Amino acid sequence: MAQQTLLSPAELAYLHSSLSLSPPIRPDGRTSKQFRPLTAETGILPGTNGSARVCLADGTEAIVGVKAEIEKTADPLGDDGERYREYVKSASGVGGGDADEDRREARGEWLEMTVEIPGLRDDDAGTVFLAELLREALLADGELARKLWINRRFHWRLYLDILLISPPLSYPLPLLSLTTHLALLATRLPRLKSEGDEDPMFDDDWEAAPFLYPRQGAAAGSRPSITLLVVAVGDSILFDPSKEELAVADSALAVSLCEVRRERGQGSMEVDSGRELRLVAMRTIDPPSRLTPPGVPSTANLAASGTADVPLQQKQQQTADEAPQEGVWKAPLGGTPFAVLDSIIQAVLEKGGVADEVLDGLEGVDLT
Amino acid sequence: MPLDTSTYSLALLRIDGRRWNDLRRLHAQIHTQEAADGSSYLEMGHTKVMCVVTGPAEPQAGQQKRGTAGGGGAGALGGGQKDAASIVVNVVVAGFSSVDRKRRGRNDRRIQEMEITIQKALAANLHTHLFPHSTITVSLHVLSQDGSLLAALINATTLALIDAGIPMTDYITACTAGSTSSYAAGDDSADPLLDLNTQEEQELPFLTVATLGDSDKVAALVCESRVQVSRLEGMLVVGVDGCRQVRRLLDGIVRAKGSKMIKEGVVQRSDLMAVSLEE
Amino acid sequence: MPREAEPSLSERTFTLQAISEGLRVLAKVSAEVTVPFPDRPFDGIFQITSELGPMVAPSYEVNRPTETEVLLARLLEKTIRRSGALDTESLCLVAGQKCWSVRVDLHVLSADGNLIDSACFAVVAALRHFRKPDTSIEGETLTVYTPAEREPVPLSWLHSPFCATFDFFGDEGDIVVVDTTWLEEQLRVASCTFSLNKHGEICQISKLGGRPIEATLVIQCAQMALDKVKEFTDLLDAKLAEDAKRRDKGGLMAELSAENDR
Repeated sequence: MAQQTLLSPAELAYLHSSLSLSPPIRPDGRTSKQFRPLTAETGILPGTNGSARVCLADGTEAIVGVKAEIEKTADPLGDDGERYREYVKSASGVGGGDADEDRREARGEWLEMTVEIPGLRDDDAGTVFLAELLREALLADGELARKLWINRRFHWRLYLDILLISPPLSYPLPLLSLTTHLALLATRLPRLKSEGDEDPMFDDDWEAAPFLYPRQGAAAGSRPSITLLVVAVGDSILFDPSKEELAVADSALAVSLCEVRRERGQGSMEVDSGRELRLVAMRTIDPPSRLTPPGVPSTANLAASGTADVPLQQKQQQTADEAPQEGVWKAPLGGTPFAVLDSIIQAVLEKGGVADEVLDGLEGVDLT
Repeated sequence: MPLDTSTYSLALLRIDGRRWNDLRRLHAQIHTQEAADGSSYLEMGHTKVMCVVTGPAEPQAGQQKRGTAGGGGAGALGGGQKDAASIVVNVVVAGFSSVDRKRRGRNDRRIQEMEITIQKALAANLHTHLFPHSTITVSLHVLSQDGSLLAALINATTLALIDAGIPMTDYITACTAGSTSSYAAGDDSADPLLDLNTQEEQELPFLTVATLGDSDKVAALVCESRVQVSRLEGMLVVGVDGCRQVRRLLDGIVRAKGSKMIKEGVVQRSDLMAVSLEE
Repeated sequence: MPREAEPSLSERTFTLQAISEGLRVLAKVSAEVTVPFPDRPFDGIFQITSELGPMVAPSYEVNRPTETEVLLARLLEKTIRRSGALDTESLCLVAGQKCWSVRVDLHVLSADGNLIDSACFAVVAALRHFRKPDTSIEGETLTVYTPAEREPVPLSWLHSPFCATFDFFGDEGDIVVVDTTWLEEQLRVASCTFSLNKHGEICQISKLGGRPIEATLVIQCAQMALDKVKEFTDLLDAKLAEDAKRRDKGGLMAELSAENDR
């Protein structure tokens, strides 16, 4: 998926060393914690429960549509389960309608997710991995599945279809994640008119349909998670890497976090105090840099040294000793040091850092 | 799911209030995406499609394989790659595009047939011989469907190819035409209809026709419903006329975009251009 | 177009062959009792499968549908299945529980152009020639009779659609040729397939791309297609009548008699 870039070992080495500087020098002139500018809109498709479109400045574009269907909740225990529960209830003396108890039965499978990337098969391993990665991050806080619960017999099944419209220029994870976040914020489900465990009845009036995630200021609770792509090059930590930067990354990490809003005290005038960031999921991504061909030091280069017999010997030495030579590209080996992981997490969760900036930006999007 | 279109004979107005020869609102944009070589967005009523054209570019290893396997690929041009560009068409129908969510795999034959139709119609129209050893990839995304899907896809493709600057003989434009009589009724009072929506498509016989430029030449013709052979002529005439209307609309959009680009200084105005900026 | 049509004698399959020209298509119909699809409890199951294997040409691979194959399958689907040639409701035995599943397997033994028309002819002929075992329902029990017990019954057939393909040649695409061979097909600039029945009902038209053709020519082709389809209908009717006559020996008694032709 993150395809190979056509950079020579010398270019890779140059890029790697300029990104390792402090502060790093990125090819597009961004600072290490700067996102690419993006344009976003929501509610573009009236036929869906919620939709969003995001264009990144490099021209990549994604559209997400959310569709909800009512589904009967299959009882994992069958009829016996029902009887068992009745028994438990009567035994414990708890009356019916103990919603909190039931709500815990929300299941992650109620959210279905597909990713379509042009030019790739829909069962391509990379695509399936992306979809699963995003789904996992959304479900990790456990809130989303619970929102889909209607009553003990019915639930909403939410279909999230993610389309990448443009050719995959860079690893599309952050783009898809931000688009999904917006689409979920714009998602509305019809207002429930029925009560209790009867067959659900809904209000026809779309204007009255409540949002899946209540509007800002209204209520506390978590918001849909966002997944950021972070790479480490040398000692630098870079957010939202471009394709070239990903090609020289020592390690790449998909960090998912969600914002939890706390109940605001009455009369509290503070505007920004309610945000609390939580790290919900983290996955390492295999950076394409591991597949890049190694550079050949000029001492070992036939054309440069001009002598025929020495290079062979040196080449063997070169492969034998692991120490990288300054200015010669060598694909990164091994895993991510713990210190790097730690500093990535610190950078992500930093107050007023990138995550805050991104969330502020997304909040500015007009939800229609 | 039979619907009631019998009211048509009373007021001669269709379900959505159009007359028999009215097109739905056609809205289109070209150059919607910076990263692509050519792109377009097209709405015909509630049918919304997006098209992205990549190329002519060097064929990718994976692409060729898919091309022959997926059916939308090089096909007829497979052997002639040396002297002409091959065209690969991918249609992705989004799960959320119809009223009920339905997921269609890439191997759905109906979609494959549409891919082949578009690919073959383009192959005859584009000057592919100018780009030997290369591939033109057309990827189409269906965001919302409400009838005339194939027609919308063809129109969007034409716009995106113009945006990509790939030389072609003329516009290929398409629209649907139907007839108010069902196949069983042999009544002579049946009226032809232009540009059907999903409700009408489900109930009435219809065909999709694509023509080349302003001519009467039929580039593609697809009919999937039962209809008397005597109705064909009437439907085809209305369809061809509809294609001409669509062509005028698309041409207007291309010209408006072109003059805007000149005004903004994106492209240099040349003396050879016959575009008047006052349009 | 079919150059010769021959119902085979031993089995109730139908072979369409034109050996000298190198085109052979075999369609075999089979029926079995199964459970209907839950979303259509009152309909039987009817499917047409076609596969072009390496037997036709080495370029066809197994399990890898080519463009020709996809288009052939779609065309048969639209011409025969979607046009309602077979009354699928008549295949229902017990609503939602039992129904006939009729399956047509199309085998192309060797191909030399005009595959679509011959394939369609073979499938229609095979279905009309086919007899399924008779059944009866008493209360809750369903009885399927063997051919010895009761004469098998034909399928409930509503109309016979046929395909007529026109190939266009020349720079303007104004030279029209029917029944092209493989060699001719390589040179065509466009082609258009009409499916009609003898009552003049179009079931399907597909001109999938290719060189643009004058609209008036398309209309003319549609008229010609109707004439062709009437020819096919007569040919098939004659062949089926011939076969029926040959089979009809006077019922079960004749079949059971010890006398033979010798």
